[in-house]
Amino acid sequence: MTGPGRSNNRRTEEQATPRMLVFACKWCGLIGADGAGKKRIPLPASFRVIPVECASLVEPDAVIRALASGISGVAVLGCHLGGCRFNHANHAAMKRLELLKTLLDAVGIGGKRLLLAFGTAHEDHQYAEVINAFFEELKALPSTAPWMY
Amino acid sequence: MSKVAVLLCRCFGEVDGVIDLDALRKKTEEDVSVAFSCVVDSLCLEVDIEKPLSLIRESGAEKVVIGSCSSLGKGDAVVETLVREGIHRSRIGLVDLREGCAWIHRDDPQGATDKALNLIRMEMGALSYRHGSDDVTIRVCPEAMIVGAGPAGLSAACALSRLGFKVHLLERGSGPGGMLNLISHVYPSDEKSGDKIKKYSEIVEKNPLVSFYSKVKILSVKGFAGDFKVHISSSEGEKKLRVGAVILASGARVWLPYGLYRYGKLKHVITQMEMERQFLREPVPIKKAVFIQCVGARNKDRPYCATICCPSSLKNAARIKDENPDARVFILHRDIMTPGSVLEAYYRKALAKGVQFIRFEETNPPEILGDEHVEGVEVFDVINGRKRMLDCDLVVLSTPLVPNDDNAKLADMLGVERDRYGFFSEIYPLHPLETRMDGVFICGSARWPVSSDQAIMQGEGAAVKAAALLGKDAVSALSLSRVPGEKFGHASVNAEACTGCGNCAAVCPFEACRLQKMGGRSVSRVNKMRCKACGNCVSVCPNGAIQLPEHDYRAVGAMIKKAFAEETIS
Repeated sequence: MTGPGRSNNRRTEEQATPRMLVFACKWCGLIGADGAGKKRIPLPASFRVIPVECASLVEPDAVIRALASGISGVAVLGCHLGGCRFNHANHAAMKRLELLKTLLDAVGIGGKRLLLAFGTAHEDHQYAEVINAFFEELKALPSTAPWMY
Repeated sequence: MSKVAVLLCRCFGEVDGVIDLDALRKKTEEDVSVAFSCVVDSLCLEVDIEKPLSLIRESGAEKVVIGSCSSLGKGDAVVETLVREGIHRSRIGLVDLREGCAWIHRDDPQGATDKALNLIRMEMGALSYRHGSDDVTIRVCPEAMIVGAGPAGLSAACALSRLGFKVHLLERGSGPGGMLNLISHVYPSDEKSGDKIKKYSEIVEKNPLVSFYSKVKILSVKGFAGDFKVHISSSEGEKKLRVGAVILASGARVWLPYGLYRYGKLKHVITQMEMERQFLREPVPIKKAVFIQCVGARNKDRPYCATICCPSSLKNAARIKDENPDARVFILHRDIMTPGSVLEAYYRKALAKGVQFIRFEETNPPEILGDEHVEGVEVFDVINGRKRMLDCDLVVLSTPLVPNDDNAKLADMLGVERDRYGFFSEIYPLHPLETRMDGVFICGSARWPVSSDQAIMQGEGAAVKAAALLGKDAVSALSLSRVPGEKFGHASVNAEACTGCGNCAAVCPFEACRLQKMGGRSVSRVNKMRCKACGNCVSVCPNGAIQLPEHDYRAVGAMIKKAFAEETIS
């Protein structure tokens, strides 16, 4: 991984194709991802999906770690509120991650780099819309420089 | 160091057409931890999986990374094939190269190939930190507890005792029957409710497998599916029960319309239940009656339809007509709700008998006239747009069923969820009659207001669901999954690292985590039978003492680290 010595050109390039990490709940976001694949909806290649059993499994540390390692944005896709397989687990997750957003704002990383989609990425086209919209939003933000790892 | 086998699937050109699989194979083989990497036409076909399987056996690879379609495609089936070959589930990583990569990046083959390499490296990184959860097996106590001896509870008790299970039937009142004790006839069969209940009560009384407890108060419920420990007090004194399953059939209560239509102030303004009581004692010939529907229902406070009030009014209106064909009976309604062929026929029957229907609007409710007793009802008929004066001497108000007052307490004790109105909620829509708590089932009006017929049906349904659990000798924690296959895992605590802060116990939606004294300090303990592996506890643990072995924080870290490794395939 390039350190502080990388050129400015490189960083502009990155800005054009932001890197995105998606935590997709197996019961919602991942079904949307599967549907988008089956419909063959073209999406930018620079995002990676980590399947999780529930959105509440996404640790705030993991989000911070991802942003610190140079990833431009993290999306968490979970089930709609009230539709969680695990009672109120996604409620708790949303509260926690919303709090993390304000925290990211406070430290200057920017809360915009964390996208929370609860129940809005369940279907193929919805999933594609969420990914594309977040992608556009990240393009407008300055690229991040890794300072850990 | 255990070696990894990488199996890549062409999917007959579906993946191969976009991702350069041969370059990917070469690139993955460079890794020291990779035993071998091979490309096959389709992993989901038996002919093609033979070769990689023999290669795995020869090379002694312990872990497998599959690069094929998504888990919802054929991915899970491929994993199952490998599990059958004796490779543990936690040692298999599935990478979605078709839906998640090739099919959505058709216009960017280079990007797709780079992504595929990263995804495979991510999965390899994660595999080195993934473990399987320890399972725990408990013996199932083949007894059931049924809360409430109304039609739902009685039919559940009959069904379970027929299947040979011991049943503890608890009743708040003094005898079986529930709400059927309060009404004279049941719709739509117009059968005497006493007769209906008699058949069930007889079976329950005669069957030695059913023990009936009256005047019951539930003091505490502890435990999990297969082994609940219940403490009750009944007319025979306090008792401790051990049961494998709980069926909640505690019913609902009738809402009393104080403050509406001058109920309680004016003589002869009665509720449907009072009308039933009158019929139950001795029917008095009624000459002129008006039924008002949706009293306190389908409004701002209770936006739901209680489903039973329309057919009940039809039943009683028709009964008045039967006894006195000259009687004038009006039903003032906002909509007559009689879905299905049976109830619609019931409505038509009442219509044919001469019951008259007038529709009014919520904003313009009927008004009751009279100072000491009812003299008439004034109603604005929305269909002909005129005000009508109805001469009558009896007004019957149809009120909805509302949840029992002790539902909240019962729900807390059992770990069951309630809906926004206070009824117990099932897992809608895939698992009817089941609650979020394994081993606890709901039926009858405790779930939602239903007729006695439906309550009986639901009781039998809940009984069969309970029997599916009670029929097992033993049940393992991982098998308590509502989807085909096993549960994802369950959380485990590193007792040395745990500081006993209690964060996990506070957030657990299933009350599986709790603090326990151990060597002079508090340590979190996870009840594996209750844990559903949502991971809330993992996210709030300040020092990573609680972990899901299948989803270790180090595995996530490894995935994040490898997600955008700056390496391209040329």
